[in-house]
Amino acid sequence: MPGKRIKGSGVLYISISMLFVIAMAMMPQTYSQAQGALAPISCPRIGGTLVVIHWGDPKSFNPDSQVDDALFAIASQIYNKLVDLDVNYNVIPELASSWEVAPNGSTFIFHLVKNVRWHDGYPFTSADVKYTLEAIKKYKGVMYGFLKMDKLVSVDTPDNYTVIVRYSEPFPAFLGFLAWYGTFILPEHIFNKTEYKDWMDPSIPALTKPVGTGPFRFVEYVKGDHVTLEANPDYFKGRPCIDRVVFKIVPDATSALQSFLAGEGDWLTNPPPPSEIPRINSTPGLIVNIRPVPSRWYIAFNLLNPLLSDIRIRLAIAYAINTSEIVEKALNGYGYPARGMYTPVISWAFNPNASLPSYDPAKAEALLDELGFKKGPDGFRYTPNGSRLVLRFTIFQGAQTEAIAAVIKEQLKRVGIDVKIEEYEIAAWENKVVKQRDYDLAMLDGFQGPDPDNMRSRFGPGAYLNMANYSNPEFGRLLDQAASEPDPAKRAQLYWKAQEIMAKDLPYLPIVDLVAFFIYRTEWHGFYWQLPGVAGLNVLERVWWDKGRPAVTSPQTTSPAQATTTIIATMTQAISSPTSVISPGGVATTSPPAQFGGVSIGVIIAVIAVILVAVLAALLFRRRGGASGTS
Amino acid sequence: MGLLGLARLIIWRTLQAILVIFFIIVLNFIIISTAPGDPVQFVAGDIAISSPDVVEYLRHRWGLDRPLYERLFIYLSNVLRGDLGYSYRYSEPVVDLILERLPVTLTLTVVSNLLAFSAGIVLGIYAARRMGRKADNLITTANMFLWSVPSFWLGIVLMMIFGVQLKLLPVSGLMDVRNPKEGFWLYLDIAYHSILPIATLTMITLPLYFKIVRDTVIQQASEDYVHTYRAIGFSEDEIYRRVIFRNSILPPITVFAIHMGFSVAGAALIENVFGWPGIGRLLLDSIRTRDYPVIMGIYLIVASSVVVANLITDLIYMRLDPRARIQKG
Repeated sequence: MPGKRIKGSGVLYISISMLFVIAMAMMPQTYSQAQGALAPISCPRIGGTLVVIHWGDPKSFNPDSQVDDALFAIASQIYNKLVDLDVNYNVIPELASSWEVAPNGSTFIFHLVKNVRWHDGYPFTSADVKYTLEAIKKYKGVMYGFLKMDKLVSVDTPDNYTVIVRYSEPFPAFLGFLAWYGTFILPEHIFNKTEYKDWMDPSIPALTKPVGTGPFRFVEYVKGDHVTLEANPDYFKGRPCIDRVVFKIVPDATSALQSFLAGEGDWLTNPPPPSEIPRINSTPGLIVNIRPVPSRWYIAFNLLNPLLSDIRIRLAIAYAINTSEIVEKALNGYGYPARGMYTPVISWAFNPNASLPSYDPAKAEALLDELGFKKGPDGFRYTPNGSRLVLRFTIFQGAQTEAIAAVIKEQLKRVGIDVKIEEYEIAAWENKVVKQRDYDLAMLDGFQGPDPDNMRSRFGPGAYLNMANYSNPEFGRLLDQAASEPDPAKRAQLYWKAQEIMAKDLPYLPIVDLVAFFIYRTEWHGFYWQLPGVAGLNVLERVWWDKGRPAVTSPQTTSPAQATTTIIATMTQAISSPTSVISPGGVATTSPPAQFGGVSIGVIIAVIAVILVAVLAALLFRRRGGASGTS
Repeated sequence: MGLLGLARLIIWRTLQAILVIFFIIVLNFIIISTAPGDPVQFVAGDIAISSPDVVEYLRHRWGLDRPLYERLFIYLSNVLRGDLGYSYRYSEPVVDLILERLPVTLTLTVVSNLLAFSAGIVLGIYAARRMGRKADNLITTANMFLWSVPSFWLGIVLMMIFGVQLKLLPVSGLMDVRNPKEGFWLYLDIAYHSILPIATLTMITLPLYFKIVRDTVIQQASEDYVHTYRAIGFSEDEIYRRVIFRNSILPPITVFAIHMGFSVAGAALIENVFGWPGIGRLLLDSIRTRDYPVIMGIYLIVASSVVVANLITDLIYMRLDPRARIQKG
C-alpha cells in the first residue's frame, strides 16, 4: 500500500465523528433507535453485480486483528458491528438495536437484535459479542489501545440478547471507537476452540472463508485479483438489492482509473490524482461526489531545535504560509485551508476561536527581523553569526506531499527562509522523524477522529507520534481530563480549552483539511454516502441498480438454500479445478457462453496469434537442430 | 570429455551454486533485517492507531525480540528443512504465497521471453541482411524506442489505446469478474486478459535480443569463412541458414537462459500496472510493508533459479559449441 495510505487514509475510508456519539452515549437513558438503520431494506430494483475497483489485497480475513484498510471495505459487507457510524459520523444501531449507559459512564448495556443468523445458519447471540471483545483484549487486536482494553473489567451476558460491558473508569469515547474499526463481531462457534493458538491460527477455517452476519456472503478470493461476495438472502434487514459485489483489486492508481473508464468497474475507490476529477465528472455516466473528511495535513516543528523552540519563528512561518494557495496549487482546489487546531468536521469538538495566524508575510518579515535574521543580497536571511537560515523539511514520498512541500518551500523563500526538502520512503521517514526526531520541519497527514481523544495520541505529552516534542503540562492535563469526563458538554469545553492552549503554543501548524472523492457510475444508487442515518460507512446493503429487475416480480428473496460457495484460494487451484470458479445457485445473471460471444473475435485472434508465434518458435528450434545435424 | 568428467563438472558446479546461494541468504538476511523501518509498525498499521502493547505482542510473536545472529541461525536451519517461514502480513507460509503466484508470473514472463527471443532473432537476422537500408533503419529505430521507454508507461499507453479507446482488450486483472467464466472458457478468459501484459513485456524485452542478434550476424557476415563459402558458390540464403545463423544463436541463447532464471522474479512493474497477481507484485508489496520472510523467500528462489539457469546455459553451450567442451574438459 502506498505510503500515503498508511498515514492518512485508513482514515479517509473510516472518517468518523462523534457529535452524536457523545450526546447519545453520555445520557443515562435507554436509546432505542427508531430511525432508518434497522429499517428493512427496500429495493426499487433487484439484481446486478457491483464491481468495486479496489486498491489492495486484504491481509487476512480477521478484520479485528490488525490495521487492514483493504479488508475494511470488504469486511463491512460480510460482518456487522454492534454499532456503526454513518457518513455524518453519527453512531447508528447495527447488531445492537439499543443501548444504555450507566450514569457513572463506565458501564454499557447493549440489547441485541434477535433472530440474526451467521452465514452458516448458526444463531447469533451475546456469546459472540463476549468472545469478540475478550479476544480483542487477549490477542491485542487493532483497537486494543483505543478501546482501553487494559481498563476493561468484564463482559457479561445475562441472557442471549443482552451484553453488559464494564470498565474500571468512565469511558465516554467507547461507543465511537466501538462503531469505528476492528470491532466486527466474530462467530464464537468457529473461532473459540481450544486447539487454536490464537485468533490468527492458520487452521481456523473462517480465516480463508469468512463467516459473518452481514448483508453479503463470501464466495471466493483469487489473491491479487478479486474478492467476490453474494447477497445474503437471510440478512436480518432483508435481502440486499444487488446479487453480487466484486472487489476487483487494481493496485496502480493510473491503471485503476483506466480500468474504471473502460467499464470494468462501477465504483472507483482507488483515488486518481485530483487533476483527473473534472474530466471524470464531465464524462457521461460517471459522477464524482466530494465530501469533507476529518483528515488533515499538518506541519510539526521540532521543538528540540533551539531555533524552532522560539515561538516567534514558528509564528513567522505560520504567517508566511498561504494555505489557500496550497489548496489551489498543490491540491487542484480539492481541500479546505485549515482553520483551527482540530478538524471542523467533528464539529462539537472544534473550537473556531483557537484560530491559526492568517497569511501575512509582512508580519512574518517583521518577526524574523526582530529575531535578528537579516536579509542578505541573495534574498535569504542570515543568522547574526553569518550562516544562512536553513530549515530541513523532512517529508515522506507521495505526490501530494511533494506538491504541498514545493509550495511551502516557495512561500518561505519569499520571506527569506531557505527550505531544504528531504524526502524519504515512509519507513525511513518514520525512523528519522518519529523515532529519532532528527528534522526541523516535518509534514504528516492523518485521521483526527473518530473522537478528539485522538489528539492525545498525536499531540499529547510523551506520545509516540508527538514528534514535535510538545509537552505543555496544562495541555496534557486537559486531554487526560477530557478522556474520562462523562458529561459531553464539559468534555467539549475541555477540548476547546486545550485547542486554545495549542494555538497559542503552535507546536504544530495545520495546513489543509482533506476531502474524499466518491467516484461511481450513475446507474448505481443507494450508497452509504447518500443514506445518512441509514447505512453504515462502507456498507453496500442498500445499493441498487437501474438495470436490475423490477422488485415486484422478483421471487429471489425466498431462496433459502444454504450457500454452497467455493473458494479459490490460489491460482494453482483455479487452473486445476476451474469448475469451482462460479458459485452455484441462480445468482449469475448471464450464462457464460452467451457472454463469450461478445468477446469472441478478440479472443480468437489472440489465441491464433499465440499459437502462431509458438509454432514459429518451434520451427526455428527445429531448423537450428536440423542445421546442427547437417554441418 | 567423458561422461565421468561431465558428472564431476556438474557436481562441482552444483556445490559452487549451493555456496553462492548460502551467501546470498546470509547477505539478504543481514541487509533486510538492518534496513530502516520496523515490520511490526507496518503490520500493526497506522502509527497513530497501534498501541505499544500491540507492537510488543507482535514483536514477540515473530521472534523479532531475539538478537540478529539467533534469528539468522533459526532462519538458516528452517530453510534447510524447506521452511521459508510465515509471512508477517498474511500469516501464511511464504512457500504457499510464492507457489500460488508462480503460474501467473510464469505465464507472463516465459511466454513473453519466448516471443521476444524468437521475434528478436527473426528481426535481427532480417535487419542485419538489409544493413543500412530502409527496413533496417526502421526496425532499429523502433527497437531503440522500445528499449528506452519505461515498461509501465508503454503498458499504460497500450492499455489506453486497446482497452479504453478501441475497447478490444481488457484493461486489468486476471479474468472477467463481472461475468465469471467456467472451465475452458476461464482459461480462454485468462489468455485474453494476458494479451496486453504479454505484449508489453515482449516489446520491452525484444530489443535486447534484436540488438545482440543483429550485431553478431553483421560481425559474422564479414568473417573470412563466410567469404570462403561464398567463393565456393553457396547461395546467400544457404550461408545464412547453415552457417551464420548457427554461429549467431549462442549469444541470444545465453541471454535467454539468464532471462529465464529471472522470470521467476516476475515483472513487478508490468504486474502492477495490469493488476496481475504475480510474484513481482508480491515482492513490491512485501518490500513496501517490510514483510521480511516473503522478501527473503522470493530473493532465495530468484537467486536459486538464476544460478540454475546459469548452470543450464553452460551445459547448452557445451552441447552447441565444441570449443566450450574442449576448454572445460
